[in-house]
Amino acid sequence: MLEDSGFADVEIGPPVDTFGGAKGEDKARAFDVYGYAFLARKPATPR
Amino acid sequence: MTDHLLVDPATLRRQVQDKYRDVALDPHAEHHFHTGRPLAARLGYDQAVVDAFPDRAVESFAGVGNPFSLRRLAPGERVVDVGSGAGFDSFVAAGQVGPTGAVVGIDMTPEMLTKSRRNADELGATHVSFRDGLAEAIPVEDGWADAVISNGVINLCADKQAVFAEIHRVLRPGGVLQFADIANGRPVPLEALRDIDLWTG
Repeated sequence: MLEDSGFADVEIGPPVDTFGGAKGEDKARAFDVYGYAFLARKPATPR
Repeated sequence: MTDHLLVDPATLRRQVQDKYRDVALDPHAEHHFHTGRPLAARLGYDQAVVDAFPDRAVESFAGVGNPFSLRRLAPGERVVDVGSGAGFDSFVAAGQVGPTGAVVGIDMTPEMLTKSRRNADELGATHVSFRDGLAEAIPVEDGWADAVISNGVINLCADKQAVFAEIHRVLRPGGVLQFADIANGRPVPLEALRDIDLWTG
């Protein structure tokens, strides 16, 4: 979706157990939900 | 409702506002996610930076990752924080860009905006400001930002393509989007995707 929106050089960081130990942990585990950091660049020249 | 969306954006916004009003006003209640200083530690924020903030600037933090983990902001950069909440990430950003930079936080929940502005006053963060607005209609001029940050917000927006288009619009050419959000490793059934209550809980 990021690339479809015109971004390039997309990077994704490692998963973080955002919900571990929280009330919402069960739902998160059911769908393997984790937090991630994302990095993307708007190209300097239009693509 | 726009046909390609799974849920009605206005209804989802109201539910998100209800949830985050609670986080602003009662941050220590049991929410379905972690909040505050324990969450910042879990997500790998610089402990010394967090320790320097007053409790009010941290207690309503409810991010899902660390938007600064893949790239540190540079001094002098102009930054937009989409879904700035009580301002925690905006204040981290303000420290990284320094007084020659600027940070504009955008949020749609009045209680969060009130809290973030009070926090900015308390911190003396004169290069941080907060504006009422939506991720799908960011109140910032075209090409203003060197960087856009966000944390746990885009997953709560019904029209993610509209959000990314807005972020693309406010970034200068060569600008950077650095954000944190959740993603699922297993497919979510369509009926669950259309269940608006599951989006915020």
